[in-house]
Amino acid sequence: MAKHNERLSRLPLWLALGFLSLFVIVPLAVLIYETFASPDGFTLDAWRALADDENAKAQLLASLRLGLAATAISAVLGAGHAWLTVAKDLPGRSWLGPLGIAPLVIPPIFMAMGISDLVMDVGGFWPCALLLGVAHAPFVAVLTTRGLRTVDGRAYESALLLRGRGTADRWLLRMITPEIVAGCLLAFLFTVADHGVPEFLTVKGKTWHTYAEGIFSRWTRRAVGTTHADLQSPIVAALPFLAALGCMLWAALRLRAKSPDRGVVRPLPVQRLGRMRWPALLLPIAYLGAGVVVPLFVLTRWVLGSAQQNVPMSIDYARESFKKAMDQGLPDLLHSLYLALGVATLVVLLAIPLARQSARRWPMLDLLTALPAAMPAILLGIALIRTFNKNPGIGWTNYDFYAGWGFAVCGYAARFLPFAALTLASHVRRQSIAAEEAGRFVHRSASARAMQLHVLPLMPAAWSAFVLAFVLALRELDLAVMLPAANATAVRRLANAVHFQHEDWSGVIALMLLSFAVLLPLLPSLLFGRKLSSLS
Amino acid sequence: MTLAVSIDQLQCRKGSFRLGPLSLEVAAGARVAIVGPSGSGKTTLLRCLAGLQTPDSGTIKIGETVVDDGTTRLAPAHRHLGMVFQDGALWPHMSALKHLRFAAPNLAKKDALALLERGGILSQATKKPGAMSGGEAQRLGLLRALAPSPSVLLLDEPLRSVDVHQRDGLVLLLRNLCDERNITSILVTHDRDEALALADHLVVMRDGQMVEQGDSVDLLEHPKTAFTAAFLRGAACLSATANGTGKLHTFFGDFDIPIGAGNGAGTDLRLAVFPGDVTADETCDGPEAKILATTPSEGDGMRLRVACEDQILIARAHRHPNTVTTRLRLDAAPRLLPWQLNQSTNSESNPQS
Repeated sequence: MAKHNERLSRLPLWLALGFLSLFVIVPLAVLIYETFASPDGFTLDAWRALADDENAKAQLLASLRLGLAATAISAVLGAGHAWLTVAKDLPGRSWLGPLGIAPLVIPPIFMAMGISDLVMDVGGFWPCALLLGVAHAPFVAVLTTRGLRTVDGRAYESALLLRGRGTADRWLLRMITPEIVAGCLLAFLFTVADHGVPEFLTVKGKTWHTYAEGIFSRWTRRAVGTTHADLQSPIVAALPFLAALGCMLWAALRLRAKSPDRGVVRPLPVQRLGRMRWPALLLPIAYLGAGVVVPLFVLTRWVLGSAQQNVPMSIDYARESFKKAMDQGLPDLLHSLYLALGVATLVVLLAIPLARQSARRWPMLDLLTALPAAMPAILLGIALIRTFNKNPGIGWTNYDFYAGWGFAVCGYAARFLPFAALTLASHVRRQSIAAEEAGRFVHRSASARAMQLHVLPLMPAAWSAFVLAFVLALRELDLAVMLPAANATAVRRLANAVHFQHEDWSGVIALMLLSFAVLLPLLPSLLFGRKLSSLS
Repeated sequence: MTLAVSIDQLQCRKGSFRLGPLSLEVAAGARVAIVGPSGSGKTTLLRCLAGLQTPDSGTIKIGETVVDDGTTRLAPAHRHLGMVFQDGALWPHMSALKHLRFAAPNLAKKDALALLERGGILSQATKKPGAMSGGEAQRLGLLRALAPSPSVLLLDEPLRSVDVHQRDGLVLLLRNLCDERNITSILVTHDRDEALALADHLVVMRDGQMVEQGDSVDLLEHPKTAFTAAFLRGAACLSATANGTGKLHTFFGDFDIPIGAGNGAGTDLRLAVFPGDVTADETCDGPEAKILATTPSEGDGMRLRVACEDQILIARAHRHPNTVTTRLRLDAAPRLLPWQLNQSTNSESNPQS
């Protein structure tokens, strides 16, 4: 009976590993297999073709340049925001600090829409880099904040007393460098993997293309391709990219693990900015302005009718926009919400057993769980399609499953699982092992012990993970383009609607979408008075 | 004698550290303390006993039940043990009452409240550990361990995280509760005072081996090893080398080799000098030593801390010395003891140093 109970308590872990295998490992294995397969057997032709493709090299270089430029912007904005709000006496730092994560709520495509609406004919390299830099700066901001909060203030004060401000600040910078670099690596990963924003800006006159765009364009050409090489080319092109991103992710995780929470420490002393106190506000204002205020401003203008050439902006027009949105966009909005809620729920259920296992027994599981983060969403989408659309005979799957809501939820969950699993794993690592050992003396079933002593203490972190997965699912565009059931999400529809002069009701839907994304994280504060803090 | 715990030829390897082989028997109702410096293996022994760590070989019996012999391996919950952890190891999301009721599924609410009252923390019944003081949290840790009525209570340095002013109260509570319920207790600590306050029988450990064991008063008065003398009594253990004339040369002069130690070569003997065995007297012809500190003693005179070899020795003095050095006179009979009984000659883990 006890052994049966023990096995039952491990069921969630086996289910989570099964999910990871089915939606990440198997699709990836299918992709790798297909690069070597041809009707005549094993071949390296596709790899040779890629090596000879000058276009692919140019795209790779463009991605690299874009990634580096955007990451530099993310580093300045994110690390600067964290530094000023945690370690300096910036006016309004208590509420500006948590807002550092706010740009993550805004889909980058909305930022692209905002900037291209305000600045006509925007589409060059630097606007794209600036946009993606702002969009991914929250990764740097959150991790730098975490780093600054775990540095012992007493050690900083010792350095200050012994060697003065300059040396102490350099010491502090060295202490938080792993966190900053980890945040930059994540920002780089997301930038080079982004397909939606560069593709959106193409329409506005861009003449260069990124590697992620190249993968997608090869994929769409595949639809009309007839040779095996046509079918292989997007996959072959994507795999070296995945390997490079995987290495970067591994480095990011290692850096993160190198700077663990150092337990209870005295916070860093808040230093005076002196006469730079008010001018220093420019950085958070520029960061939050570009990341939050501009998109919201443009969306509001759309709702008021700014995009309609023959109509002046007015409240009456906003009412009209709202009516149109209810008629034409409500199903998409609801679809997005159901999808995001389903994804967040599934992600948390899967992440809890995986996080516990990776934190307590198999540290390598961290890397396996994090693998989807290194896969551009476009590639994950291709992998899922190649596996489940081409091979509907896996047994229990068929086309209805492939095109259904459940499949979209699973696909999204596979993409966002790393974020939830890593958040929860770091929380599990902070929990007392002795307290868990004390639970082993309790004469109760293994599942009761697991629920009471392992799952319940994780609830605050699980809520953070739920919110993160919900927000990321709401804003996801790349996967929405690929998976049939996700084609009807609001973000996907909005990206198209703008091309067809439907900015008015698109603006309403976008604002409603954002309000849901903001409301959920605020719920604990509104209902239980929980202190507002970032997800760090 | 009914045995509460018996350990036979237990061995456990953990990295480069090796515990045992060691055997130990604990009588029912006994209060035992396993003492030794950090890294001596006492916590590993306790964890093997609790089932939190798997031994490589050996047999552990709790009462008449074999709980671990390589083939049988009972989970901690099935060993009828309670354990008190050094930092409380409480469950941060549960109230004090919930702690007891979760730990003991059959404990009625009124019984749980009565237990909290007995432990002096009834007012904390609805509070979570984060809202309790260190002493209250450790009381709760003790009550949680006792709630399922275990036959043996394991204590892993239970006073370590408790404020010095709250220690006495916790010691009394622990002893009273164990006496009332006739519970065998096994304490692990490197703190001599904690061991003497909570146990009547001491087991001294070093480098994964048992050095010696016995009644705490006997062990304090007549330690068989210099290591025990140093650890339990704070004795300075000075070198004693055979000089080939049938004598041992020490800081205080030459002494006869004790019976049973052969010619003294190959046996790591030490001259154990207990606090108070030596008098500082500038007029005597004893060896000279540097004075490190002077403090008034409880009776007449002073207590001097003086440096001898690489040890600090406590000496009596009739008056405050006016010099930086003094001469020492050994008043007690010389105690030449082996460093430890199995003659491992590693002196690096000298507890006094």
